[in-house]
Amino acid sequence: MSASRRGMRPHRTHHLDLAPGPRDSVVSVAGLVARPVRNPGGEVVGHVSDVVARWDTGEPHPPLAGLVVRVGSRRAFVPADLLAEVRPDRVTLTTARLTLQEFAPREGEVCLVRDILDRQLLDVDGVRVVRAADLYLATVSDRVRLVGVDVGLTTLLRRLGPARWRARARPDVVIDWASVHSFGAVALTESAGRGAIRLDRHRNELNRLLPVDLAALLEDLGRQERCELLDVVEPTVAADALESMHPDKQRQLLTETGPPRAADLVSLMEPDEAARALRGLSRQQRDRLLDAMFDEKADALRSVMAFGPDTAGGVMNTALVIASVTDTVEHVRILLRTKRHVADLDAVVVVDEQGQLVDDVSLEELLLAEVATPLADLIGPPWPVWVTPNTPVRRVADRMLDAHRLSAVVVDGQRRPIGRILADDVLQALLPGLGLPRLPRPRWPA
Amino acid sequence: MGTSVPSPGTTVAGANLTPAPGSGRPVPRGWRVRLLTMLAVTGPGLVAAAAGNDAGGIATYASAGAQFGYHTLFLMVFITGCLALVQEMCARLGCYTGEGLGSLFREQFPLRVTAVVLVAFLVANLGAMVSEFGGIGVAFELVGVGRFVSVPIAAGIIWALVVFGTYQHAERVFLALALVFLVYPIAAILAHPTVREVLSQTVLPSFVPAPAFLLLSVGLVGATISPYVQFYVASAVADKGVRPVDYPRQRMDAILGAVFANVINMFIIIAAAAAITTRAPLQSAQDAGQALRPVAGPFAAELFAIGLLGASALAAAVVPLSTAYVVSEAIGTERSVGKSFREAPLFLWLFTVQIVVGAAVALLPGNLINLLIKTQILNGVIAPILLTCILVLTSRRALLGKAANGPLLRAVGGVFIGIIAVMAVAAMGISVAGWFGVGG
Repeated sequence: MSASRRGMRPHRTHHLDLAPGPRDSVVSVAGLVARPVRNPGGEVVGHVSDVVARWDTGEPHPPLAGLVVRVGSRRAFVPADLLAEVRPDRVTLTTARLTLQEFAPREGEVCLVRDILDRQLLDVDGVRVVRAADLYLATVSDRVRLVGVDVGLTTLLRRLGPARWRARARPDVVIDWASVHSFGAVALTESAGRGAIRLDRHRNELNRLLPVDLAALLEDLGRQERCELLDVVEPTVAADALESMHPDKQRQLLTETGPPRAADLVSLMEPDEAARALRGLSRQQRDRLLDAMFDEKADALRSVMAFGPDTAGGVMNTALVIASVTDTVEHVRILLRTKRHVADLDAVVVVDEQGQLVDDVSLEELLLAEVATPLADLIGPPWPVWVTPNTPVRRVADRMLDAHRLSAVVVDGQRRPIGRILADDVLQALLPGLGLPRLPRPRWPA
Repeated sequence: MGTSVPSPGTTVAGANLTPAPGSGRPVPRGWRVRLLTMLAVTGPGLVAAAAGNDAGGIATYASAGAQFGYHTLFLMVFITGCLALVQEMCARLGCYTGEGLGSLFREQFPLRVTAVVLVAFLVANLGAMVSEFGGIGVAFELVGVGRFVSVPIAAGIIWALVVFGTYQHAERVFLALALVFLVYPIAAILAHPTVREVLSQTVLPSFVPAPAFLLLSVGLVGATISPYVQFYVASAVADKGVRPVDYPRQRMDAILGAVFANVINMFIIIAAAAAITTRAPLQSAQDAGQALRPVAGPFAAELFAIGLLGASALAAAVVPLSTAYVVSEAIGTERSVGKSFREAPLFLWLFTVQIVVGAAVALLPGNLINLLIKTQILNGVIAPILLTCILVLTSRRALLGKAANGPLLRAVGGVFIGIIAVMAVAAMGISVAGWFGVGG
């Protein structure tokens, strides 16, 4: 499945319009760096080195905690209450005397220049990965706060220019900080206890992302950020996203994540997708992951991988819903409610007392029948397409086309059903390059 | 197993899944997969040696052999050390940070420094593009097709292959063609060089005190330590998802790959030196092809053309792609491998401009072989900038933790890069003086 197909839900970045209001009310963080810090008398005490914000208040716009000021060769911390004004071209202190406390990072605080500027961020509403070209501070509710991040190219170029250009905030493409998810803050500040407050703000939204969208985000993020994102989303959500990732990126993620978590993710994927993912790994890695899984799951995957990738057995999905000839429609409906990947099913397999395939009843038939109807009444033409595991995928495709069916049932030597092949499995196996031409990754050497 | 009846209402558990009778063995992997696996295990170095040599490199090594005999071999040993050092550092960065160099520069250096470095990288790669199309021009001229025909058509084809998604197939063909240059060791041996002379000038310093030697030396540095290859190594290791715990294997690959590649390059010099006896700069591709005479006899020129075409075409796609990836990564725009070109306009623009500029400059009148060598000198002049950045990054404990360079490595790296920097500055001096008609 291609991650270049974006989800159907429109992605609307929450832009911030910073144009109205006095220019000076918005302060560019990149422009603040190296600005002189003066005491009330006008003397220059030092130069701005970094901007510190409080990260753990849980507010959508983190308040300013203070500035890191370079005085001579030392870096001192000036708390926000000692700052009379913070403007694009100057910073003034409230007191003439400044006791220099050497700067040391504290819990719940983040240095914006060192840790946020130029780093990757998640635009949660717009569902994309961006890099902070600049950060904006503004006074909101009587406190100076971090309100937005600029990701425009012009802003980046402006920072290359002289100090004059840098200081004047000319907001380009600005995203409201409230809808931005940043990384690294947790690792920097301290343990998960406090940091979890920050992460939770977007936890729900991130967990509701469509698999294709989450896959695109995971592909665009750097390794550290990707790992942190996997910490935030539920494992089932991550497994679904993994199924939608490009094979190379999938392999990269599974390799860099390492056995315990990678094994969890693979075991939560659909069996055929899991098998495909495992086939892309080296034998050593594959064995490590399989060993880290529950035996039952590992055996199931090993059996799917025992068949060649171009055979029915290699592309089938082993999650079947099987009903007996003597069951009723109601019984089947109860069954379907308990299955996780029911959206991928189009029919229910019906077996006799020996467990042999009798028919494949479509969901449509089940929907239209009365709940008390015994399945025996629904059995009849059109008969299912059934194949053995070693049937080449092309042959399966032919048979499905001839019978006008969307799926085929895979049976073993005793005609007992062992899996199902859906139309998209066939497409994926036959046409690996399906979709828009991708940006080729230069691949040599090996 | 296989006899229990699946009870109604359950999904079939893995335990009673068996392949149908008669098919119990795992299907053996196809021969293609096995060949690639073998190559992957024994020869990232092998493939790199073949694929890593582009037109500029071949021309420079052949010219070094033709003009100065075996005198550049000692320098090549030094360059091998530098290459191994740099490649290992790039691999280490890719492994421990999981990020490409473009992204690392943006995050670790002040923005202005990043901008300067990326501009230098872009310039070096434009030079490389010129050399690739120059190489294609040379290859076709050897079989009688003028460069004004071959270069634009080749540029168009390569652009279309990449943009319309069929490049992966063509890539294999080009790689196969480029493997021709693996015959250079054979050619070198068959040319019966004086072994004592070769060895003594490899093991003992044997420089030629002439400005031309210095220029060519800088060209050799540039040809061997190509900026785009180093960036590629870092991102390739990052993309494989290699974890720090698995790094020792990666380090071995990087170092062995560097050594292997440079051994091949030294054979190119030896083959050229032995086959071409008049000590003068290479003026034409015909001469360059003569180095393969011991192997291919009267077909030396054709064989040379085939290899040159493959190597140039391969690099002509890899260089602009790599550059576009690095710059997009640094800026932070869409660059995912899943995107189409339409969704990544900056990427497409960067890619196209490099091809157009490369082809255009290669069409300017003048000696193509000379041009090829000049692009490698440009590479050599720019190399110290990038190498310094890589050394700085790998020395940062905040970035690599315990894997950061120790004092010895920092010192050795500093000395090596210092030497290369001095050579580069001297070469620039000579070139500039040459423009004003001063000096030799």
